[in-house]
Amino acid sequence: MTSKQLVPRQDATAPAAEGAGAARTDQLSTHGLDLRYGDRVVVGGLDLVLPGGAVTAIVGPNACGKSTLLRALTRLLTPAGGTVALDGTDIHRMPARALARRMGLLPQQPVTPEAITVEALVRLGRYPHQRLLSPWSKADQAAVESALERTGTTALRELPVDQLSGGQRQRAWIALALAQDTDLLLLDEPTTFLDLRHQLDVLDLVAELHAEAGRTVVMVLHDLGQAARYADHLVVLKDGALAAAGAPADVLDADLVREVFDVDCRVIPDPETGTPLVVPKTRAARQKPSA
Amino acid sequence: MTTLAKPPTAAPARPASAPVRRRRRVLLLGAAAGLALLALSLVSLTQGQMDIAPTVALRGLFGFGDQGDVFVVQEFRAPRLAAALIAGAGLGVAGSVLQRLFRNPLASPDVMGITGGASFGSVVVLAAGASASLIPLGALGGGLLAALLLGVFAWRSGLAVTRLVLVGLAVQAGLAAAVNLMVVRFPAELAGAALQWTTGSLYGRTWTEVGGAAAATAVALAAVFVLHRRLAVLDLGDDSAGALGLRVSAARLQLLLTAIALASLAAALTGPVAFVALAVPHLVRFVTGPPTAATTVLTCLVGAVLLLSSDLVVQHLLPVEGLPVGVVTATLGAPWLLVLMIRQSSPVNRRAS
Repeated sequence: MTSKQLVPRQDATAPAAEGAGAARTDQLSTHGLDLRYGDRVVVGGLDLVLPGGAVTAIVGPNACGKSTLLRALTRLLTPAGGTVALDGTDIHRMPARALARRMGLLPQQPVTPEAITVEALVRLGRYPHQRLLSPWSKADQAAVESALERTGTTALRELPVDQLSGGQRQRAWIALALAQDTDLLLLDEPTTFLDLRHQLDVLDLVAELHAEAGRTVVMVLHDLGQAARYADHLVVLKDGALAAAGAPADVLDADLVREVFDVDCRVIPDPETGTPLVVPKTRAARQKPSA
Repeated sequence: MTTLAKPPTAAPARPASAPVRRRRRVLLLGAAAGLALLALSLVSLTQGQMDIAPTVALRGLFGFGDQGDVFVVQEFRAPRLAAALIAGAGLGVAGSVLQRLFRNPLASPDVMGITGGASFGSVVVLAAGASASLIPLGALGGGLLAALLLGVFAWRSGLAVTRLVLVGLAVQAGLAAAVNLMVVRFPAELAGAALQWTTGSLYGRTWTEVGGAAAATAVALAAVFVLHRRLAVLDLGDDSAGALGLRVSAARLQLLLTAIALASLAAALTGPVAFVALAVPHLVRFVTGPPTAATTVLTCLVGAVLLLSSDLVVQHLLPVEGLPVGVVTATLGAPWLLVLMIRQSSPVNRRAS
């Protein structure tokens, strides 16, 4: 499954509108993307390529438009201008279900229906694979079992999601996205509200999913160190524009952090992994007027 | 983790898992409601101004036996029974769909003005002197009109639930007033027929009125089951539903129109019967847990049982003659609404996520 780039499109049910002949590389790209809420421009003229088969982390200060960008990448937000393309095809020209069979999303604060069990929640992930009246199939059940197993939620399957701990709940929601069985998985701040242990659990799980099945992962993260550790590709946004993009080791340095986050810091190699680690300077050093 | 300790009443050999227990409760409630439905139906066919023995009534239902019995059963009691069952089932499901769509336990056609609109439409058809078989169409039109008014006045770049309920109450009050006005201004013989749409009653239903609405309700109920998967996905919120490939606005509109049709057709049959749509979904949820397609079947059954039993109470148990069934359901339902309001506004119920 890792050499996905070479596999031709096999999805017989996907109509030709998906872009005939386009190779399936799971590459998301934006061209001159303008995103607005009302009159407020959140993202302006963004050109971006998110490499297929890689883990991409989108980082940036609060209100830089990273969550908005993720909404646009999953077609939840219609661009005011420009396009979002998957393998070169405008996602707004793809049928909704066909797109949902390629791309799954974990929203920042998903709405858990009252008293729903983990298994019932995960089963809903099969929606894009079902037809209006098609019965529950063996393939559906297999996908659900595999999703439960990979997220370690098999033992929780009969419990109501709203009674789980934050970390368990997050894994249940990731299981839903896995049952969707997509090549791309987008996650909006999957570690928010979790303690360190559960943050690492979720990120490790994402890393495993990428390593095992070659899934393309795009996630919005807050913590720069975690982003540098877990991502192959880093996208840094500021004020709705691209500040930098590339491999974390190439991109993340003290100048960038000062420019984007307005924080003086040292960037040192992570003693565990060698990836860049951002260490803010002391308060005294930061308040010294820099010439 | 074990579930809440319960006294071991008729405990099975090994503890059943939560879904199995839930399925068992669904089956139990379904069986209970089904049996109650049969028993109540039999009562409704046999009891009345002249009592008919059950065997005679059943034979009469299929056209056998004494001509007088056949006539009473087929032309008076059966349509009234059918109207109660269909309207009850339709109201229950309409309430359940609306409550899920708006994520609010207070959403129901009578709170949102749809029932008022449908009653208004029915009375307009009467006033125009059209055939009684056109009443369901008038009710549908009235229900849609109410929904349209609701949309125009409550929509401010989205639907806030508080505003929806407030505007809904206003729409309901306005349309109910219009019905009352028309009834008062009607000539006496029309006013009698129109009175049903001021309080909700099953008195004097005939097949002319029941037939069309019954068929249309069956179609709308089937639509709810066809759309059920979409409803379940909508429960996940707009973002997740959209990411699963659901066209959120279209799905919501389809379900909304289906619920409006169910509630309007029920109002065409019975007039504005209050609180069935509000209470039945809660009742079912209380016993069986989160909604599924199976609990939607239950909602049909329980709605039918509730409306039919209320109608029987009106016919046989109350000392006053000729009270409309809406009075009974309202008496049952008003305290229920209060409890819901209080529970909803308590801080415990406001969940963070």
